[in-house]
Amino acid sequence: MKVFNIHFFENRKKFFAISLGIMAIGLIFNIIYGTKLDISFTGGAVIKYSYTGTVQQNDVEKIVEDATKKEASVAILENVKSADGSASLNNVSISFAGTNSISLENQQAIAKSLSAKYPSAKFQVVESSSVNPSMGQSFFMKCIAAVIIAFILLIIYIAIRFQKIGGTAAGAMAIIALLHDVAMVYFTFIIFRFSLDANFIAVVLTILGYSLNDTIIIYDRIRENRRLLGPKTPYSVLVNTSINQTFTRSLYTAGCTFSSIACVFIVAAVYGLSSVTTFALPMMVGIMTGCYSSVCIAGPLYVMWENHKAAQRAAEAGSKK
Amino acid sequence: MKRVAKPVFFIVALLILFLTFTATFGLKGKNGDNSTTYIKGVSDIRWGIDINGGVEATFSPATTTKATKEQIDSAKAIIELRLTSGNITDYELYTDYNNDRIIVRFPWKNGEKTFDPESAIQELSATSLLTFREGGDYTTTTTGSDGQPVYKTPKGTTATNIILQGSDIKNAKSQMTQDQTTGTSGYEVALELSDSGTTKFATATANLQGKVISIWMDDVRISAPTVDAVISDGKCVITGNFTATEASSLANKINAGALPFKLTTTNFSTVSPTLGKTSLYAMGVAGSIAFALICLFMLFVFRVPGIVAIIALLGQIALSFAAVSGYFPFVPSFTMTLPGIAGIILSIGMGVDANIITASRIKEELWAGKTLDGAIQKGDDNSFWAIFDGNITVIIVALILMGVFGPTNILSMIFGASTTGSIYSFGYTLLIGIIGNFVFGVTCTRLMTKSISGYKFARSKWLYGGAKE
Repeated sequence: MKVFNIHFFENRKKFFAISLGIMAIGLIFNIIYGTKLDISFTGGAVIKYSYTGTVQQNDVEKIVEDATKKEASVAILENVKSADGSASLNNVSISFAGTNSISLENQQAIAKSLSAKYPSAKFQVVESSSVNPSMGQSFFMKCIAAVIIAFILLIIYIAIRFQKIGGTAAGAMAIIALLHDVAMVYFTFIIFRFSLDANFIAVVLTILGYSLNDTIIIYDRIRENRRLLGPKTPYSVLVNTSINQTFTRSLYTAGCTFSSIACVFIVAAVYGLSSVTTFALPMMVGIMTGCYSSVCIAGPLYVMWENHKAAQRAAEAGSKK
Repeated sequence: MKRVAKPVFFIVALLILFLTFTATFGLKGKNGDNSTTYIKGVSDIRWGIDINGGVEATFSPATTTKATKEQIDSAKAIIELRLTSGNITDYELYTDYNNDRIIVRFPWKNGEKTFDPESAIQELSATSLLTFREGGDYTTTTTGSDGQPVYKTPKGTTATNIILQGSDIKNAKSQMTQDQTTGTSGYEVALELSDSGTTKFATATANLQGKVISIWMDDVRISAPTVDAVISDGKCVITGNFTATEASSLANKINAGALPFKLTTTNFSTVSPTLGKTSLYAMGVAGSIAFALICLFMLFVFRVPGIVAIIALLGQIALSFAAVSGYFPFVPSFTMTLPGIAGIILSIGMGVDANIITASRIKEELWAGKTLDGAIQKGDDNSFWAIFDGNITVIIVALILMGVFGPTNILSMIFGASTTGSIYSFGYTLLIGIIGNFVFGVTCTRLMTKSISGYKFARSKWLYGGAKE
């Protein structure tokens, strides 16, 4: 049977560099482009129409601004596939500046002026959403509360669970791995310039659960191997052995989960379903980093910590003599 | 090792296939023109507005003063009346008394040709027109989505002779009464009229004694009581074997005619049926490809445990379908959204984890020189807690997702009723996926692996990942 023998601990600096590098890139993007919150959090309005033929972006923008007396930006998306297939439609998406919702009457006025200007384009609402800022904010608060509650519950779980496997130090490393994954998912949203919405919350929470699962399975193996290999085995050997033994499983499970969500991403991208792609892509990234952080971050960090403590103890013992 | 009887593999596999088949296609009988659904399948799943197309809107009173709970209830009663009389099924309606909000969500009707979400929302929130009219004649009758007949459009004198309007009503409330002779208690609606209303009603009841004065909301008749006596003091009751709910519903509707505010639409979002159909189709394609990929992977990597895993995975997916379609009578059907489907597909990937952990352990034990039976036993024992642990964390997360995005719960008491419900079903399918993983990926898998390993043809260690003999 093929057994992996990767020196995770010895290569730790490379892994840390990769993680920090990606975070640095994310941070640069974040500084340049800022963080975009979705209108479901801030309030605001977007409308997406389908049409046939061609329209001018500037004209549409002007029509919309005249009809609503509001500043708007227009994006045109051509050749969107639909299930009934044959003819692919063009979409035009209108987003309004500011965080105020628009009224139904405004939306009706837009449809009317657009049809007047382009009688043969057959404008149809594909999706529209208009959110009142105060409702958006309370929804945002609710989501933040959810993430905090999830974190607290998981930390309680870690505290209980890790008493048996490595204690506080191991628990702390597991939490660092979780924070690493949240950061990665966040930067995925930033780098791809997706706005943060309910999908972000769903992905973050799912990845928290998923990544912790991975970490726990590795620490379980560490505990088992501590019994088998005896207390004299250095931490680096112990952790390396354990990670390598569980590595096949980590790879297989991450691979299966990754490929199933990748199918969703690819198909959704073909059909232009932005609400699904902004969910699936960060989920793909999250599953990779969830697996990566458990193997390459939490494990080596734990060894470093234990080595550091051992060195301290040795130094103390030395000074007493 | 405790041997499991050989036929168990086939019994479990057949049971899973049966579950898969019925959960996918349902069981329907035809009796003449009526088809009866005995078991609900995938086609009976109630789709959310992101798949079916539909409308979600939040209405608030257009006043700066806070509305009372009764006023919000009245406004809600009107919206509900308009929904049912418009034959809109599957609507969801929530109220948030703290923030004066009424949230409505309904899918687009099947077969509807024109998609005009703006008017649909406007019709729901339009200022209600309450009238008391002579007689109770109507032009058309249809069946509402609650199964009750809906009488529409007054005709003849009923159309021309309007006795009272919403502003003539001061207050309506439901109250309990006791029959003087039999002693049984029932419910009635008590009306209190304004001064102008009192005069008008006194004249009308004098003229129409023994005849009907009907009450209309917009174009729909909501009650048609007969005048028993002349009412000159502006106080009267409507009786008619009401239940408590019927009486308060009628009182709410009448009150709505006298609401001191208009409803404005503060939030709305719409999805067209075409976009939704495309999304559903795309997710179906994605799910099938994902399933096929995982089956191939499991088969090539794990061989016999792989086949077992595929059967178990089928069962897990079938359970997910069953849990949303209302397959089991005790689990109500669930509104399924795009993230919900993504949750099922994600749990296809996560679901094989239990099988992967177990099969990898069996493989390790085989390479360590154990016998087949010993390896299977050891693999099962060693992997259980790892699987259990891993699933607990995802269960915590799934429950929180359901909590945040669900309709009513502790969080919504603090932050108000939620507008975005589509993630709710993601949490639900994730949770069902985990439960399915325990049932099929652990229990059924173990039974099947142990029993098939009893067959002579399936005793080669190679088939379980061991060395070629």
